[in-house]
Amino acid sequence: MYQQAAWVISVVFILFVIFVFLYVVAHSGQRAEYEPIQKKGYRIRNVWFLVVIAAMGLATFYTLRDLPFERPAHAADPTVVQVEARQFGFVLSRNEFRVGEPIAFQVTSVDVNHGVGIYDENMELLAQTQAMPKYTNTMYYTFEKPGTYQVLCLEYCGIGHHVMTATITVVPSQEGEGK
Amino acid sequence: MEANVRKMTALYMFVSGIAILLMMVLGLLMLLAQGKMIPLGQDTFYEMMTAHGTFMVGAAAFAASAVMWYFLRQYVRLSFPIFVTHFVLFLTGAVMTAISIFVFRFAGAWTFLYPLPAMSAGMWGKTGASLYLIGMLLIGVSFLLLYLDTSRAIIREYGSLGHGLGWPQILGKVKGYGPPPTVVASTMVSIVNLVSLTVGASVLVMSLINLFQPSIEMDPLLAKNLIYAFGHIFANSVIYMGVIVVYEILPKYTNRPWKSYKIFLIAWNMSTLFTIIVYPHHLLMDFVMPKWMLIIGQVFSYLNGLPVLVVTAFGALMIVYRSGIEWDMASSFIFLSMFGWVAGVIPAIADATIVINHVMHNTKWVPGHFHMYMGVGAVSMLFGFMYYFIRGNERKIGYADMVSFWVYTVFFLSLCGTFLLSGKVSAPRRWAVHFPEWVPYDRMGAVFAVVIIAAVTVFLYRFFVSVIIVQAKQNIEVGPRA
Repeated sequence: MYQQAAWVISVVFILFVIFVFLYVVAHSGQRAEYEPIQKKGYRIRNVWFLVVIAAMGLATFYTLRDLPFERPAHAADPTVVQVEARQFGFVLSRNEFRVGEPIAFQVTSVDVNHGVGIYDENMELLAQTQAMPKYTNTMYYTFEKPGTYQVLCLEYCGIGHHVMTATITVVPSQEGEGK
Repeated sequence: MEANVRKMTALYMFVSGIAILLMMVLGLLMLLAQGKMIPLGQDTFYEMMTAHGTFMVGAAAFAASAVMWYFLRQYVRLSFPIFVTHFVLFLTGAVMTAISIFVFRFAGAWTFLYPLPAMSAGMWGKTGASLYLIGMLLIGVSFLLLYLDTSRAIIREYGSLGHGLGWPQILGKVKGYGPPPTVVASTMVSIVNLVSLTVGASVLVMSLINLFQPSIEMDPLLAKNLIYAFGHIFANSVIYMGVIVVYEILPKYTNRPWKSYKIFLIAWNMSTLFTIIVYPHHLLMDFVMPKWMLIIGQVFSYLNGLPVLVVTAFGALMIVYRSGIEWDMASSFIFLSMFGWVAGVIPAIADATIVINHVMHNTKWVPGHFHMYMGVGAVSMLFGFMYYFIRGNERKIGYADMVSFWVYTVFFLSLCGTFLLSGKVSAPRRWAVHFPEWVPYDRMGAVFAVVIIAAVTVFLYRFFVSVIIVQAKQNIEVGPRA
């Protein structure tokens, strides 16, 4: 969802910017007095400033309510899974889960920096955190669909970076049904 | 002296231009490999990736520093020997890093994230890692010398760096306009890069110590903070140096003034502060970071977009609107650069949003937005300067150049589009081998890259030939022409 939102917002804005720049190019040929243009321009700029500030304020308000490093309310007693990254593989203390089971992935590394990214069967990135030596990052995630998920390394860690994967299996919350 | 300055500046631009072209070729080879169109060993891929990241930013910053120096000397007395020393030291460092990568197979990426240089899993040894780190240190020292000199010269002329940023005008102690925009921008860049280079040198030295004495360890989170503070500020400074060419050239082409009025000065002061403190947006997926740092990483990244969105780009649009501007290669590139800067801001701001970063960090979305910012924004400023520099030779510039300009514009935007699309479908960045789902975007990107390289070859050929012709005729003008 967030990937789609980022894409749509970026494309719409870039098209808007292209339009504005082309408009100015199209109206750059005939010279006019600069002072009236400046006066009008500053008025437009003030409105533009307010629009940008309002958009940023709204985006900040809504997005900061959903911080991925905060434990979600429904995950009061999550299943704790230790994830240890090393050149070039992952060791998970458990890799089979049920749909709807809140999980706290406690991620660390025994050598260099790695990343832990969880991908669904369509290869869409669902969640990630960094795996760091000497530190443990806790990533909360609850699988919503049964299936086979992949864990990919998302921080460059050396020659075997791209072979650093693991598999997670998610089964229905009760045998024979998905959530 | 003036002839020497022009010769040296031309040399800076030519060396940087060739380096940028070569790094584009490496970028093409990496896309071809990811698209499974050529076989490229994974070790070679990661070496190329390390070179591409290091030298693209290094060469662009090198050229941009020459642009800044070239124009700033109109207002303050700069040291030419320092300008030459910067050139020599930078090249020495660059050669060392190139040897570390292509001879000693160092492939720790430009990020050299501690403790990767010392833990290569057998890919490279201590010699390669230490050559890279020392080479980077030399490059850093070369820039540090330059910014110490620009800071000295600004303080000498204007009294302090605060005066260079127009504090007396902002606080109302002095009426009227602040220092010329070039001075304001140079002050900002000098401040932020004195910070970034000191931070970068610290982490490079600590990494070197750890390399030879592994029992002396560093905190990996501290190292990561230092590396991204250095990398973020330094890479961003390229466009803040490059924009000087916009401030210098557009007023001449439009015959309209670009003054340092109060809002302009406030915007540059905001940029100075935010450029230094927004780097935590690179660490949003390090959940052990203090929560407040992650939140300011998002909020201040948003605010950092304001100066360009509301002041700089708006100023460029206003000065061009109904100005009767003459559109040639220089002015076209300058205008394109402002577009690239603005267009690159939005996908960057999206990525700095924590919830979006959670599913896009270290995907190809990231190179998508910074290629737009750097390739269409900063590098266009450099090409614009190159064409401005050879203006005495207009009759040689013609159809091929303008076609190449449009080709560069359209295909570079398309290349960025393929990166952003790859990010949208979650393709990770820095992967030597891609899954089949991601390959079509790599192939499209490779085709676009071929065309971009052809266009850049035209720009560099024109610059080189024009500089040689002017040199041969000894037709050297005095100072930047008004």
